[in-house]
Amino acid sequence: MTDQTFPIRCQNLWKIYGPAPSALRTVPVGTLNEEALRATGHMAALRDVTLEIGRGEVFVIMGLSGSGKSTLVRCMTGLVEATRGDLLIDGENLRTTRPERLVDIRRHKISMVFQDFALLPHLTVLGNIAFPLKVQGVERSERERRAAELIDVVGLSGRENRFPHELSGGQQQRVGIARSLITKPEIWFLDEPFSALDPLIRQEMQDELLRLQATLHKTIVFITHDFDEAIRIADRIAIMHNGAVVQVDTPEGLVLSPADDYVAAFTRKIPRHLVLRARSILSPVSAEASGEPVPADALVGDVAARVLSSEAPVPVVGENGLVVGSLERSSVMTAMFGATA
Amino acid sequence: MTNLRHRNMVWIGIVAVFVIFGWMFLPDQARRFPDDLTFDLAGYINQFFNWLARRAAIGPFAVKDITRALAAAIELPLDLVRGLLIKGFRLRLPGLGHVEIAAFPWWALTAVWVMLAHRLGGRGAAFLVLGSCAYFLVFDLWESAMLTLASVSLSVVVGMMLGLFLGIWAYRRPRLGAALTVIYDIMQTMPVFSYLVPILLFFGFGPVSALVATVIYAMPPMARNTTLALRRLPGSASDLATMAGCTSRQSMWLVLLPSARNGLLSGLNQVIMLSLSAVIIASIIGAGGLGNDVLQGLKSMRLGRALEAGLAITLMAITLDRLSRAAAGQRRDNLRAAPSFSRRLVMPGILLIGLAAAHIAPELGKFPPALTLSTGGLIDAGVAWLNVALQGPINLLSDGTVRLILRPVKEALLALPWLVVVLACAMAAYALQGLRLAVVAGVILGFILLTGYWDQAMISLYLVLVSTVIAMLAGFLVGIAVGLRPWLNRPVTLIIDTLQTLPTFVYLIPVVMLFGLGDFPALIAIVLYALPVMIRYTKDGIINVPHSLIEAADMAGCSPRQRLTFVQLPQALPEILLGVSQTILMAFSMLVITSLVGTRGLEQDVLVAVSKAKVGEGLIAGTAISLLSILADRLVTQASKRLRGHLGQA
Repeated sequence: MTDQTFPIRCQNLWKIYGPAPSALRTVPVGTLNEEALRATGHMAALRDVTLEIGRGEVFVIMGLSGSGKSTLVRCMTGLVEATRGDLLIDGENLRTTRPERLVDIRRHKISMVFQDFALLPHLTVLGNIAFPLKVQGVERSERERRAAELIDVVGLSGRENRFPHELSGGQQQRVGIARSLITKPEIWFLDEPFSALDPLIRQEMQDELLRLQATLHKTIVFITHDFDEAIRIADRIAIMHNGAVVQVDTPEGLVLSPADDYVAAFTRKIPRHLVLRARSILSPVSAEASGEPVPADALVGDVAARVLSSEAPVPVVGENGLVVGSLERSSVMTAMFGATA
Repeated sequence: MTNLRHRNMVWIGIVAVFVIFGWMFLPDQARRFPDDLTFDLAGYINQFFNWLARRAAIGPFAVKDITRALAAAIELPLDLVRGLLIKGFRLRLPGLGHVEIAAFPWWALTAVWVMLAHRLGGRGAAFLVLGSCAYFLVFDLWESAMLTLASVSLSVVVGMMLGLFLGIWAYRRPRLGAALTVIYDIMQTMPVFSYLVPILLFFGFGPVSALVATVIYAMPPMARNTTLALRRLPGSASDLATMAGCTSRQSMWLVLLPSARNGLLSGLNQVIMLSLSAVIIASIIGAGGLGNDVLQGLKSMRLGRALEAGLAITLMAITLDRLSRAAAGQRRDNLRAAPSFSRRLVMPGILLIGLAAAHIAPELGKFPPALTLSTGGLIDAGVAWLNVALQGPINLLSDGTVRLILRPVKEALLALPWLVVVLACAMAAYALQGLRLAVVAGVILGFILLTGYWDQAMISLYLVLVSTVIAMLAGFLVGIAVGLRPWLNRPVTLIIDTLQTLPTFVYLIPVVMLFGLGDFPALIAIVLYALPVMIRYTKDGIINVPHSLIEAADMAGCSPRQRLTFVQLPQALPEILLGVSQTILMAFSMLVITSLVGTRGLEQDVLVAVSKAKVGEGLIAGTAISLLSILADRLVTQASKRLRGHLGQA
């Protein structure tokens, strides 16, 4: 696999906090177990994380607080230096990158959206959005022109001259999003961007993000502790627990084959029809099946109404248009209401 | 918890036993510190400074020449501001001979300031400025007020820049920050008088020395606030700077400092207020201005004049405080739409017209003397009448307090064996925090013993002790009364805020008017000055008790009195203790000023050192005051912290 397809690669990444983490760079990995670390007063925030994130992918890192997800994304952006292992951004190893090059990468290739928005209180909406360009020394008229374009994109037209404290939380994060997009980054880090917002606004912002991504096609690394949010936007999800990545899979994969009890407990309460696709609850091709066929990769939730209102099973077709099976009412009911239905 | 309480009781018991036995069996050397053990540190300091000022040289330059040159450099901007506000300039230009440039006339300055105030703080602020200016003019205090303002504004600029620089430095190097904090503590608690003498030695008698002293006194809050505000920023602020690819300078000036703006501005507000306070005090070494008017008035018993100048200081303090707060909380609407070109020209225009008018017709620059008035004679007569009319009750109160409270406490403190005091203090420190604070206490008291200032320290302590107790009790009762009546909170807070903006000096005026000189008026002045703090902390402590606890108490069937004693007071106690420690600090800082009305402790040594230019004595007595107040503050703050821990408060 080339780095062309995987702009971000983590290889055996460790982040250890404590009195002398650098001494642990060279010891054998086997000695880095929890008891040994604790005995010397160390704590591993990341344990041996290896993953690859594909170009144009929406990759969600999901875990409870203290699971290491924030540390991981800070290692990916170079805000925190990893203790062991490598982190490659488009093939460049952040461990060996010179500081000037790192500044360059941050100015042009990657950008970040913060949980608490991190807007500058003394700048207007326009000034905040244009801020990264100001840092780069872009001329005022040019940066304000580009900021004005983005204001339209994130739906803040007419509020250019407001100050952050005059905006609602959702509007503030729209400013944060616009600011992070103004440098036209290829990789976009969002660190729990919607966690501080009301549930209704949060959903609106998730839709907004998907709408933006449909036109931008960025590589997105999205951090959240909210599984519902993760399955709404993710192509793939990495679940973290105690600093380690427990499983990386599509939402459907996580639900159908959880790697361990921890993941299973996480996914148990998820309404399955929101993650399962028709293909996963397929019955064999049935002669009784009738009516308009549904595609195999459709979400069960999207076709449930059709199946439930039809007397007969509904035929399912693959990508080539051939019938690959049928959907039974009972299996849709099971997917929607659980095994007991 | 019971275990801890048990341990505390044991400690108190041990201390009590020590005190009692100490009284009975101590040998004389443990009661009075033997004179032959003291050490003439003051003499050595005097010699050192003499050498430094007369003989020492860096390379070919004598230290004295360097500092005098520095003084000249500082004097330049001072002269500029004073020239603009008061005196005007005489410039010698090649080919043109002497050119006279007049100062800005009063009406131009007033107009511009009112407009500025309106822009910053709206109509209220504008009226305040207008009223203040009118007061200065009508009571013929304009020149003094401008002199004070010039010193204050220069000290604020220097203090702000220095504080910002030191604050950023300490933020970047936390260890250095810890060391600086100790230095700031000493700078802020050391009486201004005590470092005036060495400054005078180097910079000469006059406004430059006053400026240096003022900056030393007023700068620390700016540095502290800068470091604190930067440290309190959420991590995302510096992350944002990094992610935007800022250089470290961009990160500081474009992201961190602007984000910390509110903290910086509250530091600036404190610098302004402390500058004013110090400039007033510095009038004693010839800074002139309103402070000088008060001092002269007090000295010649022209109390009416002193009162007028005192009110002018009060007005200036309130105005400066109001304006700097308005600047901090400003809705930045006016920055949004840049003012039009012609509007931007209005203020410079007025100033220029003023200059031209004053140049052509000097009488246009002067406020017509016919419009000024002085209530001086009237007030003097009033005070005289009041003193006669109230002589009976005032004497009764004054003599009674001195005889029943002041003198016995003073004699008791002086009679206390030093060994007992030192051991008791060290034990209390050990019980509250541990070995470190105990050692600190021992070193501080040992310093005072060895330098031979023990008796004076006890005399200072007695006045602070008595006035702190009185202020505590009164403030506690008032604080509770206000805390239990939410509707009183706003007006009382307003009054306290106003009282706290007033420079220490102002408190002396009414006290001297009514009670004359001596320990009793000093006591009253200290109590008055320290009272607002105690009220504030007590009422805030009561008001900030979580609402759910109040409801829980009500649902448990508490009567209002039970609710107060079982829930509100215990919860508020840590906050109230913090108030006590602040009260002690305030008492010490007022104590320094009361030497002007004739108190006799360390503060008197400091004052005498100024008049006799004794560097060593002034520095040691000043350091002793500073160390004592720091020790008292640490002990009480530590008690508050422990209490918070017990109550599970953050």
